[in-house]
Amino acid sequence: MAPREKEEPEERERCITGIDGLDNILNGGIPRGNTVLITGSIGTGKTSLCLEFLVHGAIVGENSLYVSVTESYEKLLNNIIPYDFFDRKLIKDGRLVFIDLPVIYDKLGLEKLEFEFEEVNILVAAIGNIVDELNIKRLVIDSITSVCYRLKTQENIRDFILKLGSMLSSRGCTTLLVSEISPTEERYSQFGVEEAIADGVIVTGNLERRGDLLRTLQAVKMRGTMHSRAKYVLDLTTVGVLLVPLLKGGSIATTGG
Amino acid sequence: MAVTTEVSEKLNSLPEAAAVTLRMKAEHYFDVIRALLDVFSTKKSLDAIYVTSTIPSATIINALEVLEIGFGHIWFVDCISQIMMSPGHKHEHAVYVESPTMLENLMLKVEYLIRKTKDRKNLVIIDSINSLAIHNNTKILSEFLHILVNNLRAKEAYTIIFSMEQYETDEIRNMLNLVSDETLQVEAEG
Repeated sequence: MAPREKEEPEERERCITGIDGLDNILNGGIPRGNTVLITGSIGTGKTSLCLEFLVHGAIVGENSLYVSVTESYEKLLNNIIPYDFFDRKLIKDGRLVFIDLPVIYDKLGLEKLEFEFEEVNILVAAIGNIVDELNIKRLVIDSITSVCYRLKTQENIRDFILKLGSMLSSRGCTTLLVSEISPTEERYSQFGVEEAIADGVIVTGNLERRGDLLRTLQAVKMRGTMHSRAKYVLDLTTVGVLLVPLLKGGSIATTGG
Repeated sequence: MAVTTEVSEKLNSLPEAAAVTLRMKAEHYFDVIRALLDVFSTKKSLDAIYVTSTIPSATIINALEVLEIGFGHIWFVDCISQIMMSPGHKHEHAVYVESPTMLENLMLKVEYLIRKTKDRKNLVIIDSINSLAIHNNTKILSEFLHILVNNLRAKEAYTIIFSMEQYETDEIRNMLNLVSDETLQVEAEG
């Protein structure tokens, strides 16, 4: 009797981040439509990583949207690393779009400091409308932690991220949600809910080794792909985020992320 | 001049993207640099990435000026100036690593310069294994060399690792044997 052919699961389409090291870690990129938590303490490169993801997307023709929650995008653009591959024409042509979330709050009349179930639905629908209208294929919300502060309860946070993720995934939009944690935090998000719902979790951190402070990156979870779970050291440069494996020969004491 | 000729001739016979240990005496140091930066890399049209953990890049740049070697295609990864707290002028052809113990950052800066100079192939010089060994234990240094050399080989870059005879230990020799395709001894005959 001929052996039955084992059916290989179909390889999911990838959203190539354009960050070579990260695409290698993720075995070809983020599975398209995934919602990924980029989590870490301050100064670990989360925003730079996300911006590069969007710029590469815009360059290859995928409309990309950055939703800024805490600081105005004007200020952000003034502090952006002068990437060799960044062209302001991408913004002018509408391929790379920046929106301040507080402006959306104002337009929607969401003036309350605490959102209830209904406001969560309004917010998700508003983001969905923007994604549809601008045909967005890559989205960054920086930071989801600031949005979650308004949601207060774990149920509302869970509901928001689930609805947002499912709405974006159905549109083939790959999303990075920036999550801020303190250096001593033992979980991957401020409220402990976000990491469980996200399709992927990428942790950035600072690692102290014999007095040297190294920026690190680790993909701890990514649905839909095999991936490395090792820790890498990263550098933020004008040619983009560069990654190399963390050397293990020395003694190591972790200080965060 | 004999050392320069000897070294450049030996280098010219190397296969593409070879990883080579260059064992020398301290007194031949600048002749070897001339052979690499003036003769070999010019002949092969390479962009040289010079990783220095021995002396600050400013000192080497001064020496190149004295030797009348142009540094349009020479780039430095300087791992020693910042640890010396020297307030010196930052050269446009140099990138700086805070300390020679930050070996990952050293690899990252090499990668950065390779990408910046993507039009030409690269010659990467590690100066020297002995000074890196002062700041790092053998285990992490071996791991570093193994990753760096294989990475450079994949990028078709030449890797030249300096080793000063006077400061070589058995551990360093074993480490270099593991990663190098060849060891060239600078004899300075004639």
